[in-house]
Amino acid sequence: MLGNMKVPERKRAARLVALGAVVLVALGATALGTAGSNHRQGPASAAGGTPGFGDLTLKQMIAARKRIPVPKNLPNFHGQTVTVMGDGGHNMNVFGFWYPEWQKAGIKLKAIEVPFADVYSKEKAEFIAGTNAVDLVVFYPAYIGDFASNGYLLPLDSYIKKSNPHLNDVITAFRKLYLGWAGHTYALPEDGDVHIFIYRKDLLNNPAEQAAFKKKYGHALTVPKTWDEYLRVGQFFTRKAGETLAGKTLSRPFYGCAEYGQRGFSFAWFVDRWASSGQVYFDQNMKPQINSPQAVAALKNMVASVKTCSPPDVLNFGYDQLRDSLLKNQTFMVVQWSDVPKKGADPTQSQVVGKLGYSLLPGTVVNGKLVTRSMMPVGRVLAIPKTSKHADAAYFMAKYISDDVSRFNVSTPLDGLDPYRYSQLKPQYYKEFKLADAKSYLATVKGALEHGYPEIYIPGAAQYEDALDLAVNKAISGQEDPAKALNDAAKAWDDITNKLNKKHQIELWRAALKQYKSLGLIK
Amino acid sequence: MRTTKSRHAGAGAAALVARVQRRSRAPLFAWLMVLPAVAVLLAVTVYPLIYSLRESFYRLELTYSPIPHWVGLQNYVDAFTNDPRFWPALGRSLYLVGFGVAIELVLGFALALALNRLGRPRTLVTALLLVPVMIAPVAVAIEGVVVFNESWGPLNYLLSLIGLNGPIWLGNRTVALKTILLADIWQWTPFVAIIVAAGLRTLPGEVYEAAAVDGASRWQTFRTLTLPLLQPLLIVTVLIRAMDIFKTFDTIFVMTGGGPGSATETASFYTYLQGLRFFSFGYAAAISYIQLIVISVAATILVRRIRKGLG
Repeated sequence: MLGNMKVPERKRAARLVALGAVVLVALGATALGTAGSNHRQGPASAAGGTPGFGDLTLKQMIAARKRIPVPKNLPNFHGQTVTVMGDGGHNMNVFGFWYPEWQKAGIKLKAIEVPFADVYSKEKAEFIAGTNAVDLVVFYPAYIGDFASNGYLLPLDSYIKKSNPHLNDVITAFRKLYLGWAGHTYALPEDGDVHIFIYRKDLLNNPAEQAAFKKKYGHALTVPKTWDEYLRVGQFFTRKAGETLAGKTLSRPFYGCAEYGQRGFSFAWFVDRWASSGQVYFDQNMKPQINSPQAVAALKNMVASVKTCSPPDVLNFGYDQLRDSLLKNQTFMVVQWSDVPKKGADPTQSQVVGKLGYSLLPGTVVNGKLVTRSMMPVGRVLAIPKTSKHADAAYFMAKYISDDVSRFNVSTPLDGLDPYRYSQLKPQYYKEFKLADAKSYLATVKGALEHGYPEIYIPGAAQYEDALDLAVNKAISGQEDPAKALNDAAKAWDDITNKLNKKHQIELWRAALKQYKSLGLIK
Repeated sequence: MRTTKSRHAGAGAAALVARVQRRSRAPLFAWLMVLPAVAVLLAVTVYPLIYSLRESFYRLELTYSPIPHWVGLQNYVDAFTNDPRFWPALGRSLYLVGFGVAIELVLGFALALALNRLGRPRTLVTALLLVPVMIAPVAVAIEGVVVFNESWGPLNYLLSLIGLNGPIWLGNRTVALKTILLADIWQWTPFVAIIVAAGLRTLPGEVYEAAAVDGASRWQTFRTLTLPLLQPLLIVTVLIRAMDIFKTFDTIFVMTGGGPGSATETASFYTYLQGLRFFSFGYAAAISYIQLIVISVAATILVRRIRKGLG
């Protein structure tokens, strides 16, 4: 064909072919790039295809439920499309596990995934715009004060009366903190997050390592009880490539510890340390406490951890990288959300199956007594926007996930959801673990909840947490001295409080404090 | 006679009317053609611009209340006197603009000169150069996260093959902003190259022949002929790139989230935080306007400097 063309025509044709090829390559690159992102949305397609949400195919999600049958009696919402908005990735898989139920109930599912750190902004924008485009939202309960007090959410009290989600079974702290505002219930729980301490028990119990530690420090190597011990153990296990670890020569470096170093949630790893000093975010009059000497000491500890025993790129570590550093045999110990042990017991996701031990977080000695606190960051709840056109169908889905099939949701390693009901705390449900490991895991989760420390559950939480996170991140990146960074954060908190109406904020904070105290979260 | 005169007069008047009608019809037709574009422009650019200007004089904290309160210039005063994050963020944006535009212009020019010397492969090379330009910035950023990964990224692996220890591209506060810059340079230098190459091909051959006859060296020809002749094109290219880099958001959002610390928190990212994460709409509008003024002034200075520099 080209052979019959004149030279200019041939040139033009060749250019067109080249340009076409370039467009294809660019489109391919864009598609490949965006396929790896969390910004996916779209209606779920037929089983076996890509559902447009989660991190598995729909076929894999449905297969994961194994022999759990679809109930015979399900309500009929024929032809209703329920649009769900939540943080993308493995936590959206839960909507795929139960896809046959949605189909049987006549519900068409449309999922909109948003980035993990952007749930608040995307959902708030949706609420403000009043688009009516979303029927069910998944969000972190720290924002319930903002969402409920601004009238964005539908009160669920009447729905709960009609179809009982058994909220009495929900662990008290989660029930009181996650679900309600001003005497009404606005959300059902989906994920009960708390930080736990995870370490390599095979290395800790290794005789050669035990002996080496004793020789170096003069006492036995044990699970660190204080944050100072944490640093010592972390530094001890930090090795260069070529050195030995548990009798084997390392082909790559091994690190004693790691932190969540990315902007967004690094503040929670600081609060884990600081809260054990017994302090709270604000005093009764909303004077920030985050720049106290105890807070500065806690942040210095975190800075030391980053500098002396963490991987060099730890400031780029979010949940995934922190999880993988442990599960891919790169790090000795981490503080992480309580779903990580489930993934650590799954051989398809972990290189350290059976080698992980779990414990309460290290603490601080206060008046001769060891105090440990576990931050309860994130968590997830399901709520219905006031503007939803399919509120009944949305409630059915929320209740089904939160109650009917919740045991499966929190025990599978294929999502990141953690226990939030008393009835979920039975070792036999956690089949990925050996029974002893499951018992140890659940005992640790229970203990962490008993020593749980809440996020800021008042309007403005996103702003307060961002300011604190920036301070923590500046300190751990060496941009600012910990004391200056925390002083700046305290000043930013004052500005936020004044901007949002100080009197109003004080009232809300006092109510929150009362609740924290009644739950035993603040002593 | 009178009849002939009046007939002539009548014909002249008719012609005049027809001419006037033609003239007046033409603008009407032109207006009708332009109207949809004007309407769209008014709706999506002018109206939001005016609305956001009005917004910048209000305190609107949607976390607390949807009711705006008139505060006059207070948002602007706060930005100048009481915001420790905004000015450093603006500084980072200007850093990206300054270095980004300069490097892309130099590299792009060099690439264009090389490209124009190519014979047959020029079409293919030009087409290949278009690839990064056509990729969505968010995709570039996602690929950047992989490429710049310190532990398992291909870039550090390749550097290790030649005995170099690659830096911590995204997790080191002194390197992270440069990494963002690097991603931008990779994506947009070809754009500059293609524009300049197109410009080079339109330059008149006679003046170069005359310069050669006069014994001008290559550098003299480049300095006194090529650069001045390309001046209008270069100014437009610089302006487009400067405004585009100033608005950089996708790569920062995906690659660093503004961190480590505040190392990559630029003005556009900070405005996003104020507007769409903290929902302080009034304040976000005010700092947007400050940026508009700064970038306009900076662009004017930049253009003058280029004009002066190129003679």
